[in-house]
Amino acid sequence: MGLFILRRLGVMILTALCLTFIVFTLTNLEPNLEKLAKNQANARMTDDQVISWLDNRGYNDPMLIKYGRWLGVLPHFTREEDGEVVYSRCATPGTTIEEAGSFCGVLQGNWGWSTVFQNEVLEILGVRGWQTAKLMFFVMLVMVPGALIVGVLAGMKEGSKLDRSLSTFSIGTTATPEYVSGVIFISLLASPMIGPNWFVGSAQTAMDNITFENFTLPVLTIALYGMGYIARMTRASMTEVMTAQYIRTARLKGVSFQQIVLKHALRNALIAPFTVIMLQLPWLLNGVVIVETLFNFKGFGWTLVQAAGNNDIELLLGVSIISVVVVLVTQLISDIGYVFLNPRIRIA
Amino acid sequence: MTKHDVKNMQGVHHGALMYAQEYKDGLMDRREFLSRATALGVTTATAYALIGSEPAKAAAHAQQGGTLRYQMEVRAPKDPRTFDWTQLATVTAGWLEYLVEYNSDGSFNPMLLESWEANDDASVYTLKVRPGVTWNNGDPFTAEHVAFNFTRWADGTAEGNSMAARVASLVDPETNQAAEGAIEVVDDLTVRLNLLNPDITIIPGISDYPAAVIHPDQDPNNTIGQQLGTGPYLCTQHEVGVRATLERNTDHDWWGYAAGKGAYLDRIEFIDYGTDPSAFVAAYAADEIDLNWESVGEYVELFDGLGLVRSEIPSGFTIVIRPNQLATDADGKVIFEDKRVRQAIAMAVDNEVCLELGMAGYGIPADNCHVGPMHPEHAPEVTRIPYDPERAFELLQEAGMADYEFELISIDDDWRRNTTDAVAAQLRDAGFNIKRTILPGSTFWNDWTKYAFSSTNWNHRPLGVQVLGLAYRTGVAWNEFGWSNPEFDALLNEANAIADADARREVMAKIQAIVIEEGVTIQPYWRSAIRHHKPGFVGLERHVADLPQLYKMGIAAS
Repeated sequence: MGLFILRRLGVMILTALCLTFIVFTLTNLEPNLEKLAKNQANARMTDDQVISWLDNRGYNDPMLIKYGRWLGVLPHFTREEDGEVVYSRCATPGTTIEEAGSFCGVLQGNWGWSTVFQNEVLEILGVRGWQTAKLMFFVMLVMVPGALIVGVLAGMKEGSKLDRSLSTFSIGTTATPEYVSGVIFISLLASPMIGPNWFVGSAQTAMDNITFENFTLPVLTIALYGMGYIARMTRASMTEVMTAQYIRTARLKGVSFQQIVLKHALRNALIAPFTVIMLQLPWLLNGVVIVETLFNFKGFGWTLVQAAGNNDIELLLGVSIISVVVVLVTQLISDIGYVFLNPRIRIA
Repeated sequence: MTKHDVKNMQGVHHGALMYAQEYKDGLMDRREFLSRATALGVTTATAYALIGSEPAKAAAHAQQGGTLRYQMEVRAPKDPRTFDWTQLATVTAGWLEYLVEYNSDGSFNPMLLESWEANDDASVYTLKVRPGVTWNNGDPFTAEHVAFNFTRWADGTAEGNSMAARVASLVDPETNQAAEGAIEVVDDLTVRLNLLNPDITIIPGISDYPAAVIHPDQDPNNTIGQQLGTGPYLCTQHEVGVRATLERNTDHDWWGYAAGKGAYLDRIEFIDYGTDPSAFVAAYAADEIDLNWESVGEYVELFDGLGLVRSEIPSGFTIVIRPNQLATDADGKVIFEDKRVRQAIAMAVDNEVCLELGMAGYGIPADNCHVGPMHPEHAPEVTRIPYDPERAFELLQEAGMADYEFELISIDDDWRRNTTDAVAAQLRDAGFNIKRTILPGSTFWNDWTKYAFSSTNWNHRPLGVQVLGLAYRTGVAWNEFGWSNPEFDALLNEANAIADADARREVMAKIQAIVIEEGVTIQPYWRSAIRHHKPGFVGLERHVADLPQLYKMGIAAS
């Protein structure tokens, strides 16, 4: 088991290295650097000014050198004038060049400086990630029990009226992307012009203070999308279990239907959905990008949109690392959890 | 006129007296008079007295204290002289103030200056620093600080410094720095500007939003981390894209309290809702904001319907849909070299249609010359080439471009995209072959001056000569038209030195005529600047140029 986790960690680091290098290369393409310069200095500056801006900050150095600097294996860019260091990439606003040192990469624990937010990347990811964690927590709270209940109810008797109606519901929610359901929810439930004004169409205040009014719609928008999929998986698994030999035996022995479902079928039927739920978590990060932007909830997904829109190189790299970690850690949990749920499977 | 007024008039710039006479003769409207007279150093009160009128007073009074929640994009802070968004200045205006303030009625008021005076041909300005102003670190504000800021602004080598163009008459073209002796500290409270050439735009230039005055010890790239300023507020929270909060700096004795300037609110919260107006509707509905930055298009009526107060002002905000005369296509052909093609484009478009479709009619049609009735020197008799789509297509055929496919580019937003769509549709109706390309806001500005045929929004500027100098003069950085015309340049220089009203308008008439005749651009309309706020506030009116005047905002006294 220990070796397995260690190997997974190795894969994680390797994946993170590959992904960040790809992101690094793409964000350091010349037009993207020009965009960065114009975002940072002045949207309407001349080409000569763009070149001098980039030169003065080391953006025009060779790609591998720049990547090494970001990793922290090469000393960071400094500019000298008359033999004196006048600019160092390590010196963030508020620190002097002497204090900064010459290495300031990920290996030194410095994830860089976000050009769009003018702050430490790690701090932004912490603050924004926490907001998204709150959102995800509530999404899971609604989605997982909801999906399992719907799936189990539908799978108990295949082809029944209950199964048909719940399946239609599941397929409907899964087939409706967040950007459609979110807009429908806002206009139906949170618009002062039409319909009942039960909720608030903006989750701005939920960042400090979560209430039923301001958080229901974003949570529901993401949860419903994932719910249908998991419910379908649970249903498939449940129907399969319900046709198994031992269930038939139990029924022939005269065990009540309720007992069969709760005692005998449920545990076996939940193995497959468990994996799906864990794999669904990284998928939810997609939905978060749309929903956070739609509801003005400033979390991880919104940060990604801002970083990408402004070619914020170091923040995008940070986001990539976090994404790799989230995906691989959830997979790890799912693999380990599988072992506990299904004794037939072992991992070395 | 009373005796008192006559006495006041001694020492008033003779130009201002001349303007006053013209105003009385009906040659000039009130706004134009105020703009010109105060730019010459006459105080607003005197200017109003010269024409026997009273400045408009706020009808309601503000109470002390309270919080305002203001929907606004919170952008990444940077060196003030490189500001490219008024939103940036709106946050820093809490503690970084300006020498001169431009008002929606067209007047210029002294802020950190007490007064200024121009000589007869507007080539020497004497600036008097307001006594008794202190920085929030306790340092007194002196003429040295004013000179320091002018030197900073005049540095044309600094990347992104747009102030260099605004104080171009101080900049030595050889060194791209302030010319030797141009900025002269006479004594502790007096600065003299010896301009290289007569320039009437210098006072409007230093009242613009990037002209925030900073302390010599300030690290200009760390305005949020090191808040050294003269103003009444401090920024206690600043998260780009999320929110910024200004709170009263209780440790600082702001000069404005004694001068009766206000700064009524204790706290101003700027909350970022992105750029989608439907989010602002949701924010109002959820009672999360009291004031929005800007209301455009069909959202104006939507906001009206929410019971909000509409604040509207006709302004110089506009859009140009222009060919770039230097642009070449893939075959190396200079697309808009032929004047007939450019004229054809202008003739094929009805500007009123653009106004209706682009701005839902909130504005007034313009004459394709980027000078309008809100500018003092506008010559109203010079109008556009008449709308005539048939003749336009004939011109296009004569130029041999009838089959050519023109690509028309715009940014992806509401009014700019819609206006450009309206132009494209009218061009197609006239027989042009048009391909529309819409670029997202994040990439549009990368090449905005170089697109062969595209639309660009332009902000309001107090004088007509200003935008012409920034964007239409040969070789300037923002010349997106690729236009170079020696006659125009010479006339513009001439206009920049003329204090006399009629003479200057005569020159401007020629300038407008050249811009129109050359088919430099379609400039379809002047926008009305509109925003909304909840009832119960004062001083939230939309400013004609979106300049930050936070100290005027307050909650209405009950």
